[in-house]
Amino acid sequence: MLQPLAMALRAVWLIRHEPGTPLCGSVRFSRRYPTVEKRAKIFNGVSYVPVPEDGPFLKALLFELKLLDGDKDFVGSRDSCSHINKTSIYGLPLGGEELWPVVAFLRNGLIYASVPLVEQTLSPRPPLISISGISQGLQLLFGIQDFLYLSQKNDGELNTKLSQLPDLLLQACPFGTLLNANIQNLLDNSNFAPVTQPQKQPAWKAGTYKGKPQVSISIAEKVKSMQYDKQDVADTWQVVGAVTCKCDLEGIMTNVTISLSLPTNGSPLQDILVHPCVTSLDSAMLTSSSIDAVDDSAFSGPYKFPFTPPSESFNLCYYTSQVPVPPILGFYQMKEEEVQLKIAVNLKLHESVKNNFEFCEAHIPFYNRGPITHLEYKVSFGQLEVFREKGLLVWIIGQKFPKSMEISLSGTVTFGAKSHDKQPFDQICIGGTAYVKLHFRILDYTLTGCYADQHSVQVFGSGKPKISTHQKLISSDYYIWNSKAPAPVTYGSLFL
Amino acid sequence: MAGADGEDLGRDLLSDLRNEKLTEQTKVSLLSLSLEYPSELWPDASAAEAAATSLLDVLVLLPPRPSALRKPLLLAATSVLVTGGVLGSTSGASCRLLPLLLGLASGRDVGRGFGPISEQRPLQATACECLRELESCKPGLLGGSLGLLRSLLGQEGPIQPLSLLLALSLRDSLVIQSRSGASLQGLLVSGFSTGSGPWDWTLAEEGAAHLIPQAPSWPTPYEGGCGLAALEPSPEEARELRAAVAQLLDASYLLTPVAQAQLLWLLGWTLRGLRGQPPALFKPQLARLLGTAQLTLLHAVLALKAAFGEALFTAQDEALLLRRLTLAAQHPSLPLPTHLFYLHCLLSFPENWPLGPEGEEAAPLLLGPQLCRSLMPSLLHDPMALLARLHLLCLLCAEEEEEDKGQLQSPWQYLEELLAGLRQRAAVGGSPRALATLCFQASYLVASCLAGKTKVLTPLIHGLAQLYRARPMLAPHLVDFLDKVGPELGEPLKRVLQQEVVSRPVRNEALRWHLQMLAKVAEGDAQTATLSFLQAAATHCIDWSLQQALLRVCLALLQAGGGNGLTDLLQVLARQLEDPDGRDHARLYYILLAHLAGPKLGIALDPSLAAPALASSLVAENQGFAVTLMVQETPAPIQLSVGPRMLKGSLPVLQLQIEALEPIYSLELRFRVEGQLYAPLGAIRVPYLCPGRPAHPLFLPLKPRRSAPAHLEVQALYSTPAGLTCHAPLPPLSVNFEDLFLPFPQPPDGVEQGFFEKLWDSCLPKGAESRVWCPLGPQGLETLVSHHLEPFVIMAQPPTNYHIAIRLPPSSMLLLRLEAAQVDGVPVALRTDDWAVLPLAGDYLRGLVGTK
Repeated sequence: MLQPLAMALRAVWLIRHEPGTPLCGSVRFSRRYPTVEKRAKIFNGVSYVPVPEDGPFLKALLFELKLLDGDKDFVGSRDSCSHINKTSIYGLPLGGEELWPVVAFLRNGLIYASVPLVEQTLSPRPPLISISGISQGLQLLFGIQDFLYLSQKNDGELNTKLSQLPDLLLQACPFGTLLNANIQNLLDNSNFAPVTQPQKQPAWKAGTYKGKPQVSISIAEKVKSMQYDKQDVADTWQVVGAVTCKCDLEGIMTNVTISLSLPTNGSPLQDILVHPCVTSLDSAMLTSSSIDAVDDSAFSGPYKFPFTPPSESFNLCYYTSQVPVPPILGFYQMKEEEVQLKIAVNLKLHESVKNNFEFCEAHIPFYNRGPITHLEYKVSFGQLEVFREKGLLVWIIGQKFPKSMEISLSGTVTFGAKSHDKQPFDQICIGGTAYVKLHFRILDYTLTGCYADQHSVQVFGSGKPKISTHQKLISSDYYIWNSKAPAPVTYGSLFL
Repeated sequence: MAGADGEDLGRDLLSDLRNEKLTEQTKVSLLSLSLEYPSELWPDASAAEAAATSLLDVLVLLPPRPSALRKPLLLAATSVLVTGGVLGSTSGASCRLLPLLLGLASGRDVGRGFGPISEQRPLQATACECLRELESCKPGLLGGSLGLLRSLLGQEGPIQPLSLLLALSLRDSLVIQSRSGASLQGLLVSGFSTGSGPWDWTLAEEGAAHLIPQAPSWPTPYEGGCGLAALEPSPEEARELRAAVAQLLDASYLLTPVAQAQLLWLLGWTLRGLRGQPPALFKPQLARLLGTAQLTLLHAVLALKAAFGEALFTAQDEALLLRRLTLAAQHPSLPLPTHLFYLHCLLSFPENWPLGPEGEEAAPLLLGPQLCRSLMPSLLHDPMALLARLHLLCLLCAEEEEEDKGQLQSPWQYLEELLAGLRQRAAVGGSPRALATLCFQASYLVASCLAGKTKVLTPLIHGLAQLYRARPMLAPHLVDFLDKVGPELGEPLKRVLQQEVVSRPVRNEALRWHLQMLAKVAEGDAQTATLSFLQAAATHCIDWSLQQALLRVCLALLQAGGGNGLTDLLQVLARQLEDPDGRDHARLYYILLAHLAGPKLGIALDPSLAAPALASSLVAENQGFAVTLMVQETPAPIQLSVGPRMLKGSLPVLQLQIEALEPIYSLELRFRVEGQLYAPLGAIRVPYLCPGRPAHPLFLPLKPRRSAPAHLEVQALYSTPAGLTCHAPLPPLSVNFEDLFLPFPQPPDGVEQGFFEKLWDSCLPKGAESRVWCPLGPQGLETLVSHHLEPFVIMAQPPTNYHIAIRLPPSSMLLLRLEAAQVDGVPVALRTDDWAVLPLAGDYLRGLVGTK
């Protein structure tokens, strides 16, 4: 048999999830590819199920994603224990038949969906991994998502972008076969479409830059942590870094090499993922992984990234790192005493960390309880803001920790009667399970110490560019759990 | 938009495109409509051909200045040709479009309408994409242009569209040539092109035969019989081919990641199976690809892994690939759907040395506990990620069973704690149903992966019972869970749950759930507690639904064998229940229990047949009547057969002839179609049948969902003169293909020819055509037609020529031209708009001679 490999999509949808409305959603955009549909009919044979109209598709998809209102009653076809889905690929029941595979996910209230072509019969179902259209379909949806949510602030902007989508998709995917998933890039470049396309011009780079050569490199690290203050559970923390570059250089195929360096005793970078424009990668960088225990022999740079830059700003690489201590170590003790909660929070900034925050706050939410009716507290530093209805305390620590580097808060909180619509259910914070979440940002600083040395940036075949570098550290999912009650643990916490 | 409206719109659209008053922007919008709905706008072949021609006319008549219309016009013309099924050597529009596209793609001057050459450049890429789409739909179409494409790739021109086009057509040509046994001679020689001469359709016509439904195939590298095995290129040809592939791979970096992935899949599948073509060509690309996090690229690497196995991936490479996959499956910088896909890839990893059966999810051999541990689930994960990781954890547990016995924190203990955490969340009042669903899905996954491991099953059973105690409203989930799991978990869980329900005082709010639960778990033994619970519950059952729930438990107990206590309870219920319907039921159950022995009781309670009767409250009026409710299984005292074909109304109708061997009353015949080929069939009822007395024929209307023959299962339910109700399965009936035939309305005199030709022409864009030799017996064509096809003849010139049109419900047709009959047979040209009908029609025609 001729196994065709066209890797095409039969249709694409964008659906807005609108809970509370009669249909619970509306189709905001859809595009069908009739030439691909024609092939689907031939290849799928008797197992062919046509791409449905928007209405039935919407209904079936929302049902399958459990996004229809009213999960009051048990519905076997949705809630059965054997109806297990472990991927973003679904089969939708439609008039006695099943449309499969439907690639779909929900992000920021929008459902992104597409149906890739499967170039064989569908019964029995071929393994997902053998269908090239699955990753192509997902990639297109990611591209659309990036385009819609990049610097988008309100509904008006979303509508503008949705109105641009048909034209952009005509370029990115004219016949259902994806040519370029970088939709944003297509828009940016549509302004200066090149008249000639010289040889060796990468398809991901339209046009050339004219002007002063400059290279900008930003390293943004996020630090996550789970702290328990318990004997049998280890605290965990992890740094996740993203290096963003913008290279304004003349010439089409200018080669650039950027090196990231660490100070002596810096924590090695691990789990390095690079942008596809990186031309080669040292094997030490390819294998360095957080899965292994860190030892002294681990590769610690410099990390060289040779590449040909695209025109737009792009993420050169992502990495993770395991620093020896968390930047802020704390404990949280919360106890229910009759009608009130007694709380105590203690935070300590590690001495090695730059004590100069853009901001630093500790959020102390109280879930599955009523509004705060009464509060008595003492803070050793900073101020406390109370959001009574939301059941939230915000401890504003400010720009600097005091000289002692250690601060504390203690108090008692009383709650009113619970009303379900105002204090939403939280599935983790049940009973005494509770957390303090830290939010902070430090500019011109990375926790790993990772930096891009201006002198190490090599640009071949172009004048000496102006090079600017930026760094910042941001908290992300930085939790300190109540040590007086059970807390969700990860496997790592038990084995470290 | 379908139907006549669409066609009107199609006409308007084409004329609007020529309207000089409309702006370019409007016309672009019109064209985008034609890109999405060409088959609604131009539904048949001739309309599509005309539309494509018209679009091409608009294109060449554009004034020689830049215009936004050229690109969408090319795309639209391509779409229309494909969806209309017109693409082919006989289509004028195809023969205009193809050279134009190839000219544009190769950067040649194609004429005034496209302005100076410099302005044709931007269209190069579009032309390549159009050609690629046409090649996808008609493999081999560009077989004659491979040399040209390759030389273009070496010169100038957009690298991505040319690379993809060349890779696709190279692959198609190789496959088709290997089928036909031809050599690669000249395939890749540059300079050979169809640019000037007529288009070469040879390969495309051979390729068309192969574009048919495919069996699932993700071939392992060990499997033989892949498409290219027959092709053994000569050393020069192999060198040439390798050079072309290397050229494509070298430039692949310049393609967008999604296009790189497409190229790798194509080239991988091209080289795979070609003898003497080592896949080492791909090796230089792998390190670069493995460094990225691009979903499409890693997926393509996995495809290469599946295609070449250890010929491309050493054990170390395989380990590295797994490591990168594991890393990507959890990298904090990647989105959830990507994580999920990589987790899936891990569970379906194409191994170098597969051990287990294919298609079964398993952890890869080289995925050791260390790698696995980084993918462990936690309560903080999204439900889908949690389930995927839980699956891995189960596999890890299964492997580590023997080890780590003394260890405090084994994966087993972690698994147990995780399940306990899930149950705790599901147990909280007011928590969303999704959490309960997740908890039961996780329990089910564990139960199915670790079946037989008491270490995990015992705490699971007790945990679930505890969950039920905390939140009885989860009863439907538990009932569903019990339905799905095997007896080794189900049976002990049932006992614990029964204990859980009956050992607690009856409380109003949860009674509904307790009764639902008991109906599932109540069993013959340990009845005393159950009965006293039910007795206590009866006083709380104040509304109809609760009483029904209570009675359902009684029914379940009845089915499990009843017992003395139950008789007493039913008697009490028959007196005490407020609702008359409830009392009736209780009395009926009591009667059944008191009067029937075990086996008969079982038959009487068979839910499929007895349930409707049991619901009747009339029965209670006459207690002696209960015996008539027993349904007896008997051999059939009737014979049923399919009678002569008859045409009646707009649906095919099966004429049935029935004969009774003994007198029967109130016969109901129930029919079921195997395989859901037809819509459910209604029952046929006959009040009285007597042997020897001729019975009227019965008519069974069929509502086919597909035009296909089928078997009907038949069951009869009837009463005997003694008043017993009997049930008998009858031998299945066959519905033949010809039983589905319906005539077209007879066209008025004089226009038969036109009518038939119109039907004939309308078949082809979508359907299929064939020729069959229909052998004729001694009776000749005329008799054959009059016997079998008379009602469908549209035009007849006896004794040699007949035009026959047959409607095939639900929505297809079959047309036959029987022309120039000879003594021993007649050539039949047949067309249909539904290709699936073709083999059936062929069999039917060939079989005609044997039948009367």
